[in-house]
Amino acid sequence: MERQPILRGLLTGWTALFLVFLYSPMVVLAILSFQSGPEGGPQFPIEHWSIYWYRQLFNLVPASSVAPLPLGGALLRSLALALTTMVVSTVLGTMTAQAFRRHFRGSGVVFYLVVLGMMVPGVLVGLGMALTANYVGIDRTWWGTVFLVHVVYTYPFSFLVMLAIFNRFDRSVEEAAWSLGVSPVTTFRRITFPLIFPGVLSSMLFAFTLSYDEFPRTLFASGGDLTLPLAIYGTFSVEIHPNLFAFGVLTTLFSFALLAVYATLMTLSVRRARRVAVQEEIA
Amino acid sequence: MIADLELIGLRKTYPNGATAVQDVALTVEQGEFVSLVGPSGCGKTTTLRMIAGFESITAGDVFIRGQRINDMPPEKRPTSTIFQNFALFPHMSVARNIEYGLAARGVKPAERAERSRRIMEKLDLLDIADRREAGLSGGQRQRVALARGLVVEPQILLLDEPLGALDANLRRSIQNELKLLQRTLGITFIFVTHAQSEALVLSDRIVVMNRGRIEQVSRPVDLYTRPQTPFVARFIGRNTLVGGKLTDASGSIETPYGPMRGVVANALLRRGDAAQIVLPSEALEPHRDGADHDRLVAQYDGNVLSARVLAVEVVAHTRLIRAALADGREILLEGHTGQGSAEGLAPGNPLLIGLRPEEATIVAAEQQQGKK
Ligand SMILES: Nc1ncnc2c1ncn2[C@@H]1O[C@H](COP(=O)(O)OP(=O)(O)OP(=O)(O)O)[C@@H](O)[C@H]1O
Ligand SMILES: [Mg+2]
Repeated sequence: MERQPILRGLLTGWTALFLVFLYSPMVVLAILSFQSGPEGGPQFPIEHWSIYWYRQLFNLVPASSVAPLPLGGALLRSLALALTTMVVSTVLGTMTAQAFRRHFRGSGVVFYLVVLGMMVPGVLVGLGMALTANYVGIDRTWWGTVFLVHVVYTYPFSFLVMLAIFNRFDRSVEEAAWSLGVSPVTTFRRITFPLIFPGVLSSMLFAFTLSYDEFPRTLFASGGDLTLPLAIYGTFSVEIHPNLFAFGVLTTLFSFALLAVYATLMTLSVRRARRVAVQEEIA
Repeated sequence: MIADLELIGLRKTYPNGATAVQDVALTVEQGEFVSLVGPSGCGKTTTLRMIAGFESITAGDVFIRGQRINDMPPEKRPTSTIFQNFALFPHMSVARNIEYGLAARGVKPAERAERSRRIMEKLDLLDIADRREAGLSGGQRQRVALARGLVVEPQILLLDEPLGALDANLRRSIQNELKLLQRTLGITFIFVTHAQSEALVLSDRIVVMNRGRIEQVSRPVDLYTRPQTPFVARFIGRNTLVGGKLTDASGSIETPYGPMRGVVANALLRRGDAAQIVLPSEALEPHRDGADHDRLVAQYDGNVLSARVLAVEVVAHTRLIRAALADGREILLEGHTGQGSAEGLAPGNPLLIGLRPEEATIVAAEQQQGKK
């Protein structure tokens, strides 16, 4: 690489451009969230900088013509939904991937059936779920029908992540444990799980994120109680105020926090072995 | 006495239809050191894995101490395995790796610590007891794997090429340690190895496998001096094989290079059978042509071959001669430099080869083997 400065420059420029396109919408939103209030609108120029809209989110400003965002309940619902989906998908995905470590009859068909869950157009899945629920006479709820379509959607991702992890997993480590008299259950808990933990973390991150901002499937499958993406979309139909941008910034910060937790846990689990070894080498 | 391990008609056919092991029958006594040797892919690992319980048994039976264990899961079997690739638990320290099996078997912490300390001491692992796999050299990993398998003192220890990654010196010292441990603990060892010299040094008996079947089971010395099949003769030692027809079941054979007699013939052979004579390189002595032919014939009981020298190689006191028989067939002679009368032999020189007949063996011809 060092011998090809032109190529290197090009690649750097390209990456920079990519990042600009990726993040500029978010940056614009973030800037606009500091618009003055309550009279400032959702567009440039910024009349003067303030955190009015952030305070407005938490009802810390005197009442004005702009109503507070009706997002509190939706936020809690989405969080609960994403957390449950994350756990269920990861458990299912890990178990399925575990089954795929040995070839069984029909494994090819099962593979495509599972993966189909993330391939079919979301709107159709949502619609199908709504029709089915009507037909069998089940209420459409965020914790029932929506939860189901979210799991169907995220489970293939978890499965694929875990499949990749198991593909590189050395089976003889488990066999070594068995041969020492460790039961298969204990072997999974004490040997296999710690070793596949990075994959489990990634699977959890995937499932959480995908569920947290799922829109098309949720749109039809949900009943009266909305999830966060639906509720945000609902506010557009009234009138957009910078308080929505402030909310966006806060949820983005929340995502960053999640990523930070993920990265920390990952680093800990991956580096632990190396660090301990190195420390002792030095000592 | 009940055998420690008994394999009866063992067969393994993998799901893809490949039969990796068949008709394997073997009885191993308590405390025996048995090696499995054979070319790559001959079914050594598969056999070991069936004994350990990692691989299902297609046909046949495995008995340990008289108990049929075909359907017993690996963690219940009184065996422990040492893997070709170590298979250490990467997230545990060396000490924890070694203690883990004891903990699983319900050994009390104090005794656990004591037993693992003892084995770590023997295998020189105390200095690295707190490290993890990532911080170990290949040889250290191998020793940890050995310690981990040995510390639980299984009835039978199954070792799959456990010394493969060690350099020659370390290998020798671990070999000695291993043999000593095996003796003192009285554990039965089933030891898979590629290195036949290792098997010859360590084993009480050696099992030679070929294409999923057992070719021969013998004490090392017998395997070396009395191969029972052409395959074994080629696989072990440096032998030249010459085809012929048995003229006397007690040990005479007619070969293209002349008759040979006084040789030990495989008991199953009958007069007139197609056979091969195995000529160990050490049983052949070189003589200058022009030496007193009649005296040589008398000395070797008539077993004298004419040849031409191809190459002479002297390393310290050992001399290796490659020679060509009448029809160009290559033959190898190996011995002390003082042996015979061959000083100053150079490539191209004619050579008379004397065979000490009691060291040669007659085995069945290869075609006959193939048909079976
Ligand atoms: N899981 C498997 N599925 C199908 N065939 C297999 C499997 N494992 C091994 N084999 C085949 O079975 C045969 C015996 O393999 P095995 O591993 O027992 O040989 P080996 O004697 O241990 O060889 P090496 O000395 O190279 O370790 C080989 O032909 C191999 O290709
Ligand atoms: Mg092998």
